[in-house]
Amino acid sequence: MTMTTALTTRPSKAQQAGVDLLRIVRINEEIKAVVGVAFKINIMALNAIFLAKRAGTAARGFGVLSNELRVFSQDLRDGMSVLTAHIHACVTEVSVVLQDIRHTALLRQAVEQSSAACGRAVLAAREVENDRHAERLARLRKQLRAALDDAFRMVELGGVLAKSAKIEAAYGQSFAVPLAQVSGEFDGVVEEIRASLESLRRSAFFTGN
Amino acid sequence: MKTTKTIFQDGNHKWIAIVRDPDKPNYLIDTNEYLVTHGGQGLLLDPGGAEVFPAVFSALSSEFDPSALSAIFASHQDPDICSSLALWLEFNPKMRCYVSWLWSSFIPHFGGTAETFIAMPDEGLDISLDGLHLQAIPAHYLHSSGNLHLYDKIAKVLFSGDVGAALLPPGDDGLFVENFDAHIRHAEGFHRRWMGSNEAKRRWCERVSQMEIDMLCPQHGAIYQGADVQRFINWFDGLQVGICGS
Ligand SMILES: [Fe+2]
Ligand SMILES: [Fe+2]
Repeated sequence: MTMTTALTTRPSKAQQAGVDLLRIVRINEEIKAVVGVAFKINIMALNAIFLAKRAGTAARGFGVLSNELRVFSQDLRDGMSVLTAHIHACVTEVSVVLQDIRHTALLRQAVEQSSAACGRAVLAAREVENDRHAERLARLRKQLRAALDDAFRMVELGGVLAKSAKIEAAYGQSFAVPLAQVSGEFDGVVEEIRASLESLRRSAFFTGN
Repeated sequence: MKTTKTIFQDGNHKWIAIVRDPDKPNYLIDTNEYLVTHGGQGLLLDPGGAEVFPAVFSALSSEFDPSALSAIFASHQDPDICSSLALWLEFNPKMRCYVSWLWSSFIPHFGGTAETFIAMPDEGLDISLDGLHLQAIPAHYLHSSGNLHLYDKIAKVLFSGDVGAALLPPGDDGLFVENFDAHIRHAEGFHRRWMGSNEAKRRWCERVSQMEIDMLCPQHGAIYQGADVQRFINWFDGLQVGICGS
């Protein structure tokens, strides 16, 4: 465990925490948008199933895939709630770290200006607490990153399903047009989510630049 | 850093004013903090805002061990009164905070736990500081709706929170009021606008004029002493308050 040195590195640390907070807030907004889009997918998957039922034997392959899409959309929803929980924990912890920094800076200033014997011990205790918070943030950051990776992999699989559905739609005889439309929309939305998640994974919140 | 001035002393029974920080930025209102000590214990009155904590702490610790502070007395809930609470608690997590019952669930937003707060009833409270008997007396609506002052009968000192406050011009930084008429001009606007109730003011003036007071110590501005104490009470009694200029 490294001890924080709030005095010497205070400005950059405070700035870093401030920047982290802005980044995490932006990630949060993006994830909220993705969760909204993911919700649409559920309805689309249901539509695909109804359509496949109507097409019956004419679109057997599409029918199998539409069930897969339905399972995918549920998994995606679960993945999004995991992401939401992680992002909330990160927002909270970044705020705690930001508060620690202000608190410690005031304490340090007080201790340095004063002759109180207890000052150093109180400051050291505060820094141990700060380190605990910083470590927790590092852990949460890793967990969020892992959850994003999981969601990304899931969405890639969803993309493969959507593309297969598009191909199967072509064999849907008289239903080929509506099936192509449904699978095309599905593919479009999955692609939208994939692009969002990809850019989130590249966020400087994870790379630290 | 602020300076400390001992304004009363009898053995280890002391009143120490913590005042005037030359380094304080102008956008923060200047505040006076007071430390009462008796035996081995200390009671800090209106410890001030988080931003001035380093200045107050360092001045206080030049006189007193901050970990021996047994309690904080908060006259009311304003940020300039006690937004530094969480920082003081770092030095003594067992420290208590006396505050009007009205604010005892509001001030924890500045820090502390359920054990930290001692809610003072409207009629006031007797507080013992290592055997020294202090009295929290009602000053509600002056200006806060849950507001108490602190009286030390032995030292004959009344800590009066925002009552008696003056917004002094730069350079006017004497600790005691020297020319009452000149000084009170800087107090008038503050009292008219910040104090909300003529009725409450009337009752306060009646109450405190019956008390023996050598020094009336406000949270802003200068200390009234001797004849200026009664002069202030009379002036305040005659002032119409609760008035907004516009
Ligand atoms: Fe106030
Ligand atoms: Fe005040």
